Amino acid sequence: MSARATIAVWAGKFTTKLLRLAGSGGTSLPGKVVLKICPDILGHLAKDVKIICVTGTNGKTTTCHIIRDMIEAEGKTVFCNDAGANLLGGVVSAFVGAATLGGKINTDYALLECDEAALKSIVEHFGNLDVTAVVTNVFRDQLDRYGEVLTTVNKIRAGLSQLPNVKLVLNADCSLTSSLSDLSHSEIHYFGVDGPLYEGTSSDISDAVYCIHCKTKYQYHYHTFGHLGGFYCEKCGYHRQEPEVALTKVIEWKDASSVVEMDVFGQKVEAEVMLPGGYNLYNALAATEVAHLLGLPNEQIVKVLGGLTTHFGRMEQVMLNNAPLHLVLVKNPAGFNEVLQFLIQQRPTGNIVFGLNDNYADGKDISWIYDVEFERLTQAASGAKHFYFTGKRAYDMQLRLKYADFDTTKFSVEKDYKTLITQLQQSGQETFLVLSYTCMLEFRDKLAEFVPLKKYDAS
Amino acid sequence: MDRELHICHLYYDILNLYGDNGNIRTLEKRLAWRGIGSKVTQLSFGEVNRDEDYDIIFIGGGQDFEQEILVKDLFDHKEQWLKEEIEKGTVILGICGGYQMLGKYYEAADGTRVDFLGGIDVYTTASDKRMIGNFAYEYTKENGETFPIVGFENHNGQTWLGDGVKPMGKIIKGYGNNGEDGTEGARYKNVFATYSHGPLLPKNARIADELLEIAYERKYGEQLPPLEHEMEDAALNDIRQQLGC
Repeated sequence: MSARATIAVWAGKFTTKLLRLAGSGGTSLPGKVVLKICPDILGHLAKDVKIICVTGTNGKTTTCHIIRDMIEAEGKTVFCNDAGANLLGGVVSAFVGAATLGGKINTDYALLECDEAALKSIVEHFGNLDVTAVVTNVFRDQLDRYGEVLTTVNKIRAGLSQLPNVKLVLNADCSLTSSLSDLSHSEIHYFGVDGPLYEGTSSDISDAVYCIHCKTKYQYHYHTFGHLGGFYCEKCGYHRQEPEVALTKVIEWKDASSVVEMDVFGQKVEAEVMLPGGYNLYNALAATEVAHLLGLPNEQIVKVLGGLTTHFGRMEQVMLNNAPLHLVLVKNPAGFNEVLQFLIQQRPTGNIVFGLNDNYADGKDISWIYDVEFERLTQAASGAKHFYFTGKRAYDMQLRLKYADFDTTKFSVEKDYKTLITQLQQSGQETFLVLSYTCMLEFRDKLAEFVPLKKYDAS
Repeated sequence: MDRELHICHLYYDILNLYGDNGNIRTLEKRLAWRGIGSKVTQLSFGEVNRDEDYDIIFIGGGQDFEQEILVKDLFDHKEQWLKEEIEKGTVILGICGGYQMLGKYYEAADGTRVDFLGGIDVYTTASDKRMIGNFAYEYTKENGETFPIVGFENHNGQTWLGDGVKPMGKIIKGYGNNGEDGTEGARYKNVFATYSHGPLLPKNARIADELLEIAYERKYGEQLPPLEHEMEDAALNDIRQQLGC
């Protein structure tokens, strides 16, 4: 490895050490330092490993966690970038952390969660290396950052075009994701769900109503959620491809898991996926496909899916004076609607807290809460004791629920987390907290002063 | 006495980014809470049934991709109807893309023009200025009363008002129509056009009620009964405080 690259690695490691001594958790600074010294550092360091990149709007972190478990079950080693550090700086920091002082990486795999817009800058130095890229889905998310759903697809495309030998793993049910299949130099694999997931699915989120190729309105054989499903275009023939890894049946929906039947490259496989909700089934399918491509036998795949621990699902459970708090992260309408589906099944009788910030990472434009179908929850939540609203945009969130016909006599706004936690504690009731990204981080920081918490694993 | 207002959600399936459906919901609810019904008709491509009488027409915002397909349908099927509705004083609310589309044209950076409806005397030019963020503007009612409106803008088109059109408001904070002349939105007869997402109507109850008042009075010749808006004001005041206005 060149002298410059080696020096860059040392500088990165030194920076990491300094940060740790200073008690800072920042994971992107070392990467930035390294890039200043050696901009194409990834090209040097990535030579020794097999690379798996995971990108897309929802499910990147969860899919990465499942893939990591799959790799380790195979007896191989893997390093990942930290959740939330999915831009170039964070990826470089992860590589530097995994490298020896001589710049060698002795792990088998690099598993990289990649922000959609940063994908190109991350992969452009990987060239002909062994890369598998997973695209989970494309939904509207932080529109004020990317501008449009199509821009997201194009940014992913720009990234994937840098990799002539990439093995693509795509969501067959997402017309936006599947359009990446024309990157013809790539080996392409699909995962998907073979039929409707729920009864009476709403398909109101129209991130992709018109055919991406000929702009005719899509028809659907069935919907799973949002714009995902068995889409086809009558005019130009663009349609859902047959996935090699498919969910063929949900045998049982449970609170924190789902028992399912899958078809994995022609073999029927039954598994219990220890994560709640439909959106997590897609994450499990994507990870299953990657695992199969890595050579993991079905029995091992089933074992891994059955052994997933919920702290990296979107739900974290914490006991506050004998009353359970369930912390759920929401980042965009599709994810939020899935959480509502879960809450509907719960028929909650305690407290529900909705927390909304409008910092950059949450999305500065909060209009998206009007794309969340709270109206579907009104009836099922009518037995709840109290609704609390918190975060910077608590009042907007409260108003949203007024317009969804919730019982406003049960409403209160409490922006101070300490006061809120005290009230929840005093109520002694089970509480579901549905919080936007930075609100979750802030709330957990405060909660940690009351009860011991694990280091946050943002999913 | 079963009164109801008929609302048309035009291009509901293409121009509905940024939670603009919240505007429809606000209109429906603020009528329902007054004991007045509402019927929402969703219109997309194709001919308009001219027997239908709409009291309010709503057009939201969308992606550029979809605006292209839209323009063809606009001229093939919607032009005459919409122009007549504008001129006869039907309440029309256009947001962002919907706003631009009611104007004369959009001019790209290289000078090429896309013709739009030409229903109101405004036109939009492309710029590389990204006008994005929470913004506030002052609205003036017919009787001189003013109130602030707070929303979220996200556009790089700059819209310029012609002589025949008034602005919807005076910018207090943010960019508005073009970031240069201090105006935001456009008012012509009963057309209300603005760049405000948010969505606009939920926490800006006064403007929501203004639209409903005009539409109701046109239809029934009576004043719309009043309705409280405490929670709406709480949200409005909270964001005003955060914006320092």
